[in-house]
Amino acid sequence: MTLNIAVIVKLEPDFSEGSVSYNPDGTLNRAETKSRLGAHSAIASLAAFYTKVKYGGYISICSMGPPMAEIALQEAQSISDADELHLYSDRLFASADTLATAEVLKQGIKKMNTGKEMDIVFSGHRASDGETGQTGPQTAWKLGFTFLGNVIDFSVDLNNRYIFAKRLVALPGFYDIVEEIQAPLPVFIAIDPSYKPTFDTISLRLTSGRYLKEAKERAVNYKSYLNVLDHKKLELDPRLVGLPGSPTIVHKVEKIPKARTTRSAELIEGDDRQGIINSVTKILQLIQK
Amino acid sequence: MENCDVTIVGGGSAGLAALKHLSSLGKQAILLEAGKEIGSKNVSGGILYSKKSNNGKIYNVEDIYGESFLNESPYERLITKYILNATSKDKIFSIDLTESHDYQTNFGVSVLLNKLNSWFAQEAQIEAEKLGGGIITGVHVRSLRWDEKSSKIIVETDELEEFETKVMIAADGVNSEIAEMTNAREKFSPSELYQGVKVLVKLPEKIIEERFNITNSDEGAAYLFAGDVSLNLIGGGFLYTNRDSLSIGGVYHYDSLLEHPIEPTEIVNAMLRNPLISELIKDDVPLKEIDKTLPKEEQVRKSFAITKLLNNWNELRQLYYSHKLKKKSIEDRKYTSEDEIKSKLDNLTQKLTNEYHTKFMTNYIELEYTTKLVPDGKRGRMKKPYYKNILFIGDAAGRGLFIGPRIEGLNVGIDDAARASIAIARSLDKNNFESNYLGDFYSQSIEQSPYTVDMKEIDKQYLGVILNSTRKKISPDALGFKHKLVFNLISNQGLRNFFISLINKYGYTRLLSFIESEDVYYKIPIKIADKLGTVKSSTYIPQIPTVQDRVAKLCYHEDTISHIKILNSGKNFLKKMVTLCPTKCYSLEGNDVVLQHEGCIECGTCSKETEWRHPRGEKGVLFKYG
Repeated sequence: MTLNIAVIVKLEPDFSEGSVSYNPDGTLNRAETKSRLGAHSAIASLAAFYTKVKYGGYISICSMGPPMAEIALQEAQSISDADELHLYSDRLFASADTLATAEVLKQGIKKMNTGKEMDIVFSGHRASDGETGQTGPQTAWKLGFTFLGNVIDFSVDLNNRYIFAKRLVALPGFYDIVEEIQAPLPVFIAIDPSYKPTFDTISLRLTSGRYLKEAKERAVNYKSYLNVLDHKKLELDPRLVGLPGSPTIVHKVEKIPKARTTRSAELIEGDDRQGIINSVTKILQLIQK
Repeated sequence: MENCDVTIVGGGSAGLAALKHLSSLGKQAILLEAGKEIGSKNVSGGILYSKKSNNGKIYNVEDIYGESFLNESPYERLITKYILNATSKDKIFSIDLTESHDYQTNFGVSVLLNKLNSWFAQEAQIEAEKLGGGIITGVHVRSLRWDEKSSKIIVETDELEEFETKVMIAADGVNSEIAEMTNAREKFSPSELYQGVKVLVKLPEKIIEERFNITNSDEGAAYLFAGDVSLNLIGGGFLYTNRDSLSIGGVYHYDSLLEHPIEPTEIVNAMLRNPLISELIKDDVPLKEIDKTLPKEEQVRKSFAITKLLNNWNELRQLYYSHKLKKKSIEDRKYTSEDEIKSKLDNLTQKLTNEYHTKFMTNYIELEYTTKLVPDGKRGRMKKPYYKNILFIGDAAGRGLFIGPRIEGLNVGIDDAARASIAIARSLDKNNFESNYLGDFYSQSIEQSPYTVDMKEIDKQYLGVILNSTRKKISPDALGFKHKLVFNLISNQGLRNFFISLINKYGYTRLLSFIESEDVYYKIPIKIADKLGTVKSSTYIPQIPTVQDRVAKLCYHEDTISHIKILNSGKNFLKKMVTLCPTKCYSLEGNDVVLQHEGCIECGTCSKETEWRHPRGEKGVLFKYG
């Protein structure tokens, strides 16, 4: 018996590049910001990889976002050796809040691995942009799965279909405690940022080495693992997704502090005719790409 | 507890060959490597040989990895010139020893071990995986014990849960911890070791070919050096051509170094300062200089612009001087012709010189500084290279081959690996791992190896070939009375054979101190160079980096816990380490020696009288070239 594993991931702005672009009101200009797989999503992908190595499994990774979000799925595949990638992309999904996003993800998860029920769904602890940490719990609620947050370690009893998880519970101003929980499958796990998988036996090391090699090969051809689904394919009610499906009213958004830029620039002197021609050609080539 | 049939400890050339060969024989094996990646801890001079012998079968690299080794592996150059250079100040006398190099040789290729071992690993992994085995990196074996009932070895590591193995191959190098844990042998004594020091010098491909008169772009040269470059120590220097770099260094008797301690870096510096070598390594090296009187922001802007231009210049220059890269870039239509690359390179040089006032000076560029202890198989090889169900191979078994200008280690380790694999396959088939079935069989096989024969006896024919090459160039009159007499005596084939038979009968190793003497290593070469050599001059003085500069270029994954423990800080041996440690990890505080392990490059020079372990998995130095 192996596990059906799902991971929900998110394409996020790459703050480290210092390439964040802002709208005049101080909110993020997503269209002009370089993006990559979110750091928390990467940890969730790693947890899925560990589960596949230790217990065997079929990994499906999904993300809701614009077509370019496929690069996040590719990166997640190179970490997790995913067997299937789902991108939920539709203009109708735009401006979704966490509830409307959870609706799309729930419907997508139900369609993974030819409609088989998932045993474990992993998500990151939170996103790094517009974080509220609610998408995970809301998706779990919609799926009817037990939600386990801040998980730092877990093991699965395949025969009895139980999971044993350790949760890191931080009590502000007090000490941290580790809570041990036993829960029946299926579960939804929001993995803690401090999670680190340990491959501490020779068989785990050999299997992880084999899968990791496979993951790198798969990620090169990630498009052949990718399914792009819109609201029709997902059989979603347009009233429950995107802006219409979002009851959230934003009261206030904190401005994002500008990260220090680390990007390099090419300096072209005003009288450097060839330099200008070269850079314009380069820009045109990039636009064409 | 998990278990496996065979565990190989150490992912160097020998360990990897064992994994590949065992897998080819249908046996499941795992290989544990302490480094983060295969090759990251491996260092070699280095030339890898494929040999043939009248004394029996040799298992060569192509027996393990296939006949297409020369077509597929990332070796550097096929060595087709082997020159011995006698040096005395600015005088050099060269003797062509290519004939002796070719003696019983299929081929010899210069190698950089990181690249080569990564390729070996890739090949071995494919085979091992099919049988459920494979390579596990970042794992350091801490201790071993035996299950009383099954006699299986229980392996405890710093990183994994303990597991059982039916049999083990110890390929953990000259500082073998497996040997120490099991007391299979004593730590090598200084008389059984050489210390090797090497720097890798960057030089464009085509320039190497011009300087060394290489007409075929896949071929290369190897130079040996004896005389005053050896700084009055028992040892000698080497210079091997790689694809676009040169391996330059020295190999010295460790007891000679203990007697007259000298900083290892000085050994390699003496080589670099030799006018012949200075001229061979010289290159145009740009100097990034920024006018400090400019406003700070302008300085940053200029610095950025120069760095970018220099990177482009370096890239384009490497392309221009490389056969393959240049051909590919034209095929890929990145450039239309060689002339276009040349004109772009010239433009960049001009721009750097005229606009940014970058100066180009004649100097050389070092890529990596490495050191390594090498066992002398003549003195230190394990007579019975096994302990219970553990077989020792390569450097771990002390099997380096140093006979005059013949320096071999990698191929000996590969031969050992094949022999160990065959012995283990036989034991696995019969499920018998008793010493008298496994160990003795392997030990006998090792004794029959032509390499072992060469460690025990002088090969008359080989000596004859060397003397022939020497006689062609040197008149005995140049040697002085005593040496002339010896030279004339051994030049007579009948007398020579008689003496060698006598020596072999008496025990060649007992006479080693006479054969490997000051006379042979530097007195005679100096005399020859003085009398017959031609004066070489260098057009510049190479600016040699300090040890600190060299260490700063290396990559480390620092372990907060030191892998070396000083046992007695006041001991004379440790005081010598203040000079002999190649990366200056030891220093004197009052009368006590203190250690800072962070810069350690794990050569083991200090291991004789310290508690010396390899760092834990993934920790310590990471060599980029090796």
